[in-house]
Amino acid sequence: MPEFAIRARGLTRNFGAVRALDDLNLEVPAGCVFGFLGPNGAGKTTTIRLLLGLIEPSSGSAEVLGFDTRTQGDEIRARSGALLEHSGLYERLSAEDNLRFYGRVARMPAAQLDQRIQELLTHLGLWERRKEAVVKWSRGMKQKLAIARPLLHRPGLVFLDEPTAGLDPVAAASLRDDLAGLASRQGATIFLTTHNMAEAEKLCNLVAVIRQGKMLAVGSPTELRSRGGGQRTEISGRGFSDEMLAALKRQGDVAQASVEGGKLILVLKNGASVAPLVSFIVREGGEVQEVRSGQGSLEDVFLTLMEEEHK
Amino acid sequence: MNADFITVLWKEWKEIVLERSSGGGSYRPLILIGIIGILIPFRMSPERYFRPEQLLLPVFLSAFVITAVIADSFAGERERHTLETLLASRLSDRAILFGKIAASMAYGWVLSICCIVAGSITVNVVNWHGELLTYHDAASWIIILLGPPLLGAAIASVGVLVSLHATTVRQAQQTLAVGIMVLFLGVTFGSNALPVDWKAWFARILFTWSMADLVLAGAGVILVIDLALLLAGMARFQRAKLVLD
Repeated sequence: MPEFAIRARGLTRNFGAVRALDDLNLEVPAGCVFGFLGPNGAGKTTTIRLLLGLIEPSSGSAEVLGFDTRTQGDEIRARSGALLEHSGLYERLSAEDNLRFYGRVARMPAAQLDQRIQELLTHLGLWERRKEAVVKWSRGMKQKLAIARPLLHRPGLVFLDEPTAGLDPVAAASLRDDLAGLASRQGATIFLTTHNMAEAEKLCNLVAVIRQGKMLAVGSPTELRSRGGGQRTEISGRGFSDEMLAALKRQGDVAQASVEGGKLILVLKNGASVAPLVSFIVREGGEVQEVRSGQGSLEDVFLTLMEEEHK
Repeated sequence: MNADFITVLWKEWKEIVLERSSGGGSYRPLILIGIIGILIPFRMSPERYFRPEQLLLPVFLSAFVITAVIADSFAGERERHTLETLLASRLSDRAILFGKIAASMAYGWVLSICCIVAGSITVNVVNWHGELLTYHDAASWIIILLGPPLLGAAIASVGVLVSLHATTVRQAQQTLAVGIMVLFLGVTFGSNALPVDWKAWFARILFTWSMADLVLAGAGVILVIDLALLLAGMARFQRAKLVLD
């Protein structure tokens, strides 16, 4: 296994006049859980397609598991598993047949495949309903099965596009444990996209933020929080009007301002002090009862990056 | 390649059978076999039934069934959002393409053989005189063995070409139906418009060649068409284009 499971240099992809991916440089160490974060249309799906060798880059290059995505897509696809935007399940077939098909595609020996299907379906609580056509299942059950599919043949690299979408909180937490275990015990690399920042924060060793095809930041969640998130301040009180919010957003030290549950939430830029802002709020007619400050979350970092890029 | 081809064939066969028998439609194939394999032969004499021309009906039935099935091959996967996952697997282009073509051909072939066997049994039961009645000329056996797969391969290959780039199954079915109608009308009117010398040449062949030779020659022509269509299908199968479509 190479040191880096994924290595991209200047990866660019145009669709006509639209640049979906712009000079992406990326290094994902082997055995890492890598979170790829970005709003809809940021270029996440295009990146996965390029890394799987399904489409060719307009310029730049990428190596996945040591194979060139332009010329060795077959090798990459043979050694990886992918849950893409859609579940990819054949709904007329049973859960067992869906897994059997992809197990045979991965050339798993029959006895090993039977054992693995039982292991996965039992773990996911689906074993009793393995003979049913998937079309009869709930969305959450389908999503569990869809996640089992790329993990079936224990690949060295797994691409997961929004894996916990549609799962209940218990199942989502269980999946996070499974993925963390997969990376730590088997040394598999997991490349996942998600909109759930709390999930990325809990699960990922490394996170990258992308917008409009451009990489905005990459690092561990802790690094990103300290690098770009600045300080998160919660102010309890009254009189936090829309005009005041707009005025706060115009202040140079404020990265974000919003009202949540009656509290004013401010995310400050690095090195900014909260005291002048509290004075400003009082001057503008606000009533401040309590001020709490702490480290911003990954979500704050993400929103700050999006806002800065937008400006 | 062989193992992958068998894997795709297995999956496609299961999907075809489940789709054709869903929604209370499990009787559909039985109805076809009932009409073509029992009802029609029931009214025929053995001399008429066991003639090679009578085999054209089950052969064309297999082509008709394939038309309905093959439209679903790629357009159906696209419509149900399973195509990209399939393309993201380690399966080769050829395994996917040939597996899908072979599954629809096999389905048509099985139905046509069922009709022929059911028809033979019906004619024997109705006209039983202590002696088994069956096809007795080489032309009939060549049609039984080669007709459904050769014609089926041609229809399935055309169907795959259409289905590869159709957005929905319905669009693929409509395009295929229109295409086959245009082809049928073209052959009918085109043959009438042929120069007199050519018509005379064809007539001479029809009257001088044996039925078996004519059937073999026809099979050869269809085989060449099959190969050309398969090559066209391989050329049109582009993973990147399919993903982006």
